[in-house]
Formats: sequence, structure tokens, C-alpha cells
Amino acid sequence: MSAGIIKPSLILTVTAFVAAFALSHVNKITAPAIARQTADREREALSVVLPGFAAGNEKTDGSGDNAFRYWEGEKNVDDAAVKAYAFITSSPGYSGDVKSMVGVDSEGKILGIYIIEQSETPGLGARAAEIASSRTIWDIGKILSGKLKEEKTHPWFQRQFAGLSAGEKIKIEKAGDWTPAKEQALLEKNAITAITGATITGRAVIAGIEKGYERLRYVLGREAAQ
Amino acid sequence: MNYLSEFTKGIWKKNPILVLGIGLCPTLAVTTSVSNAFWMSIAAAFVLTCSNIVISLIKKIVPSHVRIPIFITVIATFVTIVELLLNAFQPAVYKSLGIFIPLIVVNCIILGRAEEFASKNGVLASILDALGMAIGFALTLFVLAFVRESLGANKLFGFTIIPGMEPSSAMIIAPGAFFTLGLMLWGMNKINSRKK
Repeated sequence: MSAGIIKPSLILTVTAFVAAFALSHVNKITAPAIARQTADREREALSVVLPGFAAGNEKTDGSGDNAFRYWEGEKNVDDAAVKAYAFITSSPGYSGDVKSMVGVDSEGKILGIYIIEQSETPGLGARAAEIASSRTIWDIGKILSGKLKEEKTHPWFQRQFAGLSAGEKIKIEKAGDWTPAKEQALLEKNAITAITGATITGRAVIAGIEKGYERLRYVLGREAAQ
Repeated sequence: MNYLSEFTKGIWKKNPILVLGIGLCPTLAVTTSVSNAFWMSIAAAFVLTCSNIVISLIKKIVPSHVRIPIFITVIATFVTIVELLLNAFQPAVYKSLGIFIPLIVVNCIILGRAEEFASKNGVLASILDALGMAIGFALTLFVLAFVRESLGANKLFGFTIIPGMEPSSAMIIAPGAFFTLGLMLWGMNKINSRKK
């Protein structure tokens, strides 16, 4: 009877051990590349959310799960230094946290947002990170011959946040996909247009902005008081 | 044993999706674009082939009543390897497939082939079986994604087809996947019944 328990347990243990051993090696090979990707993404995100600003060093408030990371950016406008801030925030979406970086100026106007990490449904919520490409399939000849350069445009869903006020409630309109023609009307209402079939993702991004902006004001207020 | 038929059966006669009716979750979920379908096929083919090889090698030492946890451990290991590799070297793909990479663990095609084929056959036959099934899976995904991306997003391989046309977004959400798959099943059965 005991042999009936020991042998299978032993084989299961050995299998798990071999699996863990193999994975630790793969992890060792891929970890530097993954870390580099994350750092690249954050640098790219900073340049998107603080356009034209020179971003300072990363600052942290709190620790562990409560850690809040933010950056201070500066640029000169008419010989006067203008400040702006970027912070990382996350909020639960449809399937897991949506992590984004948000840039705001000193009045709370959003300069840009950048979704760093998300695990939303491909084709629905994941379209929050989608790039609206102006290329059509008929351009394929030009692309293959290298005449048309790879364009790096900012995803439309994220772009519509620029110019909104982070201090006020950001509303969601269900008016189909974003087009440049809708931009002005949405800005006036302090609203965004949701991704078709993925309103939850839009709400998550907005909740993240609200939460992060409140934290930023608290941290900056404390800094000023010191 | 006829090795050629072990290879070709997965493509048509025992196509995992259209005939066996397994692995439908990733099929319906990731076929919103051809590029998603392509990378899902590559990832699933890698996991399926590797796990079939390992399982056919260890089939004699695995006690039958703990075989499922052992198979799952083997499969999960290869899935984690794929996940780490994609995250490190294909971050855009990793971002767009998201949750469906770790979910390959529960893709029934992989556990199904391990249980039904690799645990009963030799290594070479298991490799051929895995490759055939992977090709059958990939072709089905490609056709589905081709139809859904062109009608539902007015795009192919990420490029717009007809500038300015409003795509029918029903094709990109779940019902579009079911409609297309249903039509494919009907077409396949029609062809097969005519053969007889």
C-alpha cells in the first residue's frame, strides 16, 4: 500500500523539480531582456505624456503595494520655467489591472496618457493600446520597397485624454470609435469616447487617472509644506 | 503504423477544431486579427510539439493515476517558457495576446493529444501528430481571422483595406466568431458528405 503512494509522489516531485529547474534557466536568460523592455517602455511613455518637457529623476512615495512613482518635468516657455508631472497608476479593468502613465500640468490638465500594461480582451479592451494606422493595404508595395517609413503614431484611445482636466470628473460617451472630427465636442464635455464593447476598460483608465491625480496632489502638497 | 497519415490526419480528417471540436476558447478569442492568430498558432505549435515529445518519452515511468498532474506540469512549463520568450523578444505580441498566452495551459488540444496520443505512441509518431494538429489548428485560425479582421475591422495584417469604410463591428466581437466558425463547420461537413 505504501509503495502505491511513495512511487507516484516521488515521480511527481521529480517532474516538478525538473520543471522548476528548466524554468529558472529560461528566466535567467529572458530577465535582462524583459527588464530592458520595461525600462524602454517607461522612457517612451515619459516622452509621450510629458511632450517637450525634460523629465527629472523618478521619485517614489510609500512602499510595497502602496508605492506611488512620479516624475517632475520642466520646460522653458518665454523664459519662465513651466512644471509638469507624470505618474504611474493602475486600476482593475475587465481582466486584470490596467497600468498607465499619466502626464499633467500644474493646473491639472492632462498632457497625455500611455497604457504601459494591460491584459484586456484582444479585439475589445486591448484596443485601448491600439494604434489607428492611416496606412491601407494598397500601400503594401510602397512599404515593401521601403518608401513608406514605419509611422509611430499614438494610439487613438489614449490620445483623446490629452487636454482633459484630471481634477474634474471625466465622462464616457458611447459614440463609436474616436475620429479627429469628434475631438472638439469631447474636449468641451471633458469626456472620452469608449471603445465599442469595452466600456469597462475606459472606466478603469479613468478611475486610475482620478486615483493617481489625487495621490499626486497629496504628495505635492506635502512636499510644498516641508 | 503509417507515419504519413499520423501527420495529415490533424489537418483535415481529425482537424482539432472543426472535427474534434476542442480548443475552441483560443480559436474564438484571438482570431480578431491575422497577426494574433499567427502568433497564437506558433505558440500553441511549440507547446504541443514539446509536450508531445516529453510525454511520449516519459510515458512508461508515469503511474497512470497521477498522469494528469504530471502532464499539466509538463505543459505548464512549456507555456511559461513561451510566455517568457515572447515577453522578452516579442513585447508587442505579448501585449496584444495578453491573457491568452498563459491560457494555452488549458487548451484542450494539448492535453487531449497528450492523453490520447503521446502517452500511447512513440516519439516520432507523437511529433508528427503534434505537427499535423498544429497545422490544422493554424489553418482554421487563419481562415477565421482573415474573415473577421477584413469584415470586422476593415483591415488585413493591420492595414486598412478600404479607406473610410465603417466596418461591421459585430464580426470582431464574439457573435462574429461563432457565425464564422458555424459557416466553416457547415462547409466542412458539406464537402465531407459529398465525398462519400
